[in-house]
Amino acid sequence: MQDTLQTLVGGLSLGAVYALVAMGFSLVYRTMGLVNFAHADIAMIGAYAASTFYLTAKLPFAAAMVTAIVVTGVIGLVIERVLRPLENKDFDLMLIGTIGFGIVLQAVAVLIWGTTGRAVPSPLHAAPLDILGIRVRTYDLLVMAVTAVAVVALALFLSRTKRGAAMQAVAMDHEAATAVGIDVGRSNALAFAIGAGLAALAGGLVGPMLYVDASLGGALGIKGFAAAMLGGFGSVQGAVVGGIAIGVLDSYAAGHFQGYSVLVTFLVFTVAIMVRPTGIFGERTVSRA
Amino acid sequence: MRTRIATTGAVVVAAWALPYGLGSYTIHVVDIALIYALLAIGMGLAMGVSGQINLAQVAFFGVGAYSVAILTTHYGYGFWPAALLSVLATVVTGLFVGIPALRMQSHYLGIVTLGLALGFVNWITNAHISGGADGISGVPGPTLPGVDLSSEYLYYYLEAVVFGLALVFGLFVVRTSLGRRLRAMRDDSLAAGATGAEVPLLRMTAFLLASLYGGLAGVLYSGLIRYVAPETFSIANMFILLAMVVIGGRRSLVGCVVGAIGLTLVREWLSDFSTYAQLGYGVVVVVMVVFAPTGLAGVPARLRGRYERWRGRETARAELRPFTPYSPVERPDTAGVLLAVEGVTKQFRGLRALDGVSLAVHEGEIRGIVGPNGSGKTTLFNVISGFYRATAGTVRLVGDDTTAARPYALSLAGLSRTFQNLRLFGQLTVRENVLVALDRSRTHSIWRYALWQPGVWMHERLLRAQADEVLERFGLADFAAAGPTSLPYGIQRRIEIARAMAARPRLLLLDEPAAGLNGEEVQQLIRIVRSIRDSGTTVILIEHNMGLVMSLCEKVTVLSGGNVIAEGTPQEVVTAPEVIEAYLGESDLAELGMDTPEAADRPDRAKEATS
Repeated sequence: MQDTLQTLVGGLSLGAVYALVAMGFSLVYRTMGLVNFAHADIAMIGAYAASTFYLTAKLPFAAAMVTAIVVTGVIGLVIERVLRPLENKDFDLMLIGTIGFGIVLQAVAVLIWGTTGRAVPSPLHAAPLDILGIRVRTYDLLVMAVTAVAVVALALFLSRTKRGAAMQAVAMDHEAATAVGIDVGRSNALAFAIGAGLAALAGGLVGPMLYVDASLGGALGIKGFAAAMLGGFGSVQGAVVGGIAIGVLDSYAAGHFQGYSVLVTFLVFTVAIMVRPTGIFGERTVSRA
Repeated sequence: MRTRIATTGAVVVAAWALPYGLGSYTIHVVDIALIYALLAIGMGLAMGVSGQINLAQVAFFGVGAYSVAILTTHYGYGFWPAALLSVLATVVTGLFVGIPALRMQSHYLGIVTLGLALGFVNWITNAHISGGADGISGVPGPTLPGVDLSSEYLYYYLEAVVFGLALVFGLFVVRTSLGRRLRAMRDDSLAAGATGAEVPLLRMTAFLLASLYGGLAGVLYSGLIRYVAPETFSIANMFILLAMVVIGGRRSLVGCVVGAIGLTLVREWLSDFSTYAQLGYGVVVVVMVVFAPTGLAGVPARLRGRYERWRGRETARAELRPFTPYSPVERPDTAGVLLAVEGVTKQFRGLRALDGVSLAVHEGEIRGIVGPNGSGKTTLFNVISGFYRATAGTVRLVGDDTTAARPYALSLAGLSRTFQNLRLFGQLTVRENVLVALDRSRTHSIWRYALWQPGVWMHERLLRAQADEVLERFGLADFAAAGPTSLPYGIQRRIEIARAMAARPRLLLLDEPAAGLNGEEVQQLIRIVRSIRDSGTTVILIEHNMGLVMSLCEKVTVLSGGNVIAEGTPQEVVTAPEVIEAYLGESDLAELGMDTPEAADRPDRAKEATS
């Protein structure tokens, strides 16, 4: 029992990070129907940037994060601008195009930061809390709190602001949105920038939990995508539920199958998604293309 | 034809002479390049030809390579038996990885296959039997009596023979029945189902082909390098493979080969600057996707098109020729019931699109189905043709219960249809569109591709002759080699009818065949439909153009709100009070004869959800 709960707590904090990745991914997907395979590598760049500003430039952790979010937001804008001719046209080509960007970002990361990764020390030095015999790292609590704030902020932005509402309109019907005077291009660019910012937030937060190197994107990204699918593509609450589900699954698999955890995680995920292709908070249509 | 034989001959001679001019290191690189080319053909078959986003190709490569290594070093098999078993193991893996494709497509499939590939790398880096992160070394190479295959020069010839056969087989598949169906499925899986293609089986076939090539490549890799380790099969290499296929041209197998060989050579050449090279591939992939989506393979056609436009040369004027009527058959005096719809209800969550609809259509009839927008006409067609499963009620075709039949089965049973929003196979030529429907062979007859290729070829020649006949009859001969999407709307409508008739159906469903046609084209349509009926095919058509319905149909069924509100001759129906009431508020009776534009049907969207 004790062990089970301990695994659950470990899974929750990683799950929160997957949820952030999935949220950015979902936001971009539902706004412009673009499956951004470079999303994970944007998160990796975010992790590197945050660690550089924090360790090398000696900025406070929060300031380093904000800077990293701005940097990746700009990268997001560039990617969106280059792939704009393909938006709402050929789905598979866009998908391949973002994979191309992923390859570029990985190469850039190696050129800037080298092939050896880096370990980022936790910004919090408080001792782990002991709740009913379960050790909870204070940093894990911070990650969960930041994720919760980000989820609420995004939900409020989408439902309460004019720009957020415009983005929802574009998601439903981009032609009708154009007809009522929404600048679809700008709306998509904003969605992409926010998505990239969320990726950077995930990357920056995961830095002190995992080892930061150029392959971080691969591990983080595929699980983030899996989380988005499991929760239901394009749904914000789905991203959160899916992220936590994948995090907990991952954590149990690591506890019970050690080295084979990735294999087990993806086999379970494949079976789950076969049973319910639309995910928990199913999308209206499976094939948007 | 002669130039093609000459080119092939020149390539064969060059391939034979190549090792004489190369150093020992260069031949090694060429050997590697051929292996990647094999792998790329498999990737092209799954992704470019069949439209299945398969990001597990590098794992298939790994299964082939590791199986050889494990069977030879752990179980003491010789190379050749191990090779055979390894290819089998890879195909089994391929079919397993393909199962999700039955439930999901495009990016969903991409993520699932990528996840499984990651799982495979995770397994080989941890399992004891695969040597963990160190991999397996000391794999015995293949032996042939009298030939020393440990020489990389001679190994090259072994590879070249396997590669040549594999490429020819791949091209043969793409250009004949199976490949045409795969391409049709890629362009429009719904329409492919409606023309008799068994989509689930075809998706599995795509994965079978991809894994077959992956397995062959893996076996050759093990025999060449004699050492396998996890990093060769990493996700990063998967993306490089993807770059090869995209840069070369994913829809052309030759393009895939060019991309694979080219990129392998470039990669070797730039091996001292591997990071910059990687940066380069990424940039090239992005540039290709935006500016040359068909890859290098598509460049010659684009240049030719541009050159001809620059020359301003008018190609011989293509025109739509008149339809040649079918020879009429004698109509039996007592026509039996061909289609019987009994109490069919279709519920979409809160919406009841059809509510206990019953109708019987006799053989040799032309039945009109009319009704206001949203009255359930297209939903009824979708239920009859197997796209939707009725919530309640039964559909019988020639007495057989077909309520739960899949579209391909209905197509083979003699039902054909057209679509309201034109669903032609966009990347196929007009002739190929017709050929897909003409091909009545079942998908399981693909065993002939493995065992009796001449049979495939003879069947193919027969089909081509028949296709020319159909195109000639519908006046489409001038457009046989054109892509349908570039043609005028009226011609596209004609192609859809030709495609539906190519299947020689007993029952033809036409969904708004006159929408968007001008007066003259409507007159031609009336002649075509009459001739189709006279040839013995029963016709049901949905139409808003009342003039057409009045002059063509013997009996009309009126739907409103999912119910049949009237049935009878056109004259009876237009005067029925229920019908007038149903149309009132939208348009009065006098305007019924006019074409009412219809917005995209809501059920049509829902249909996409179920696919």
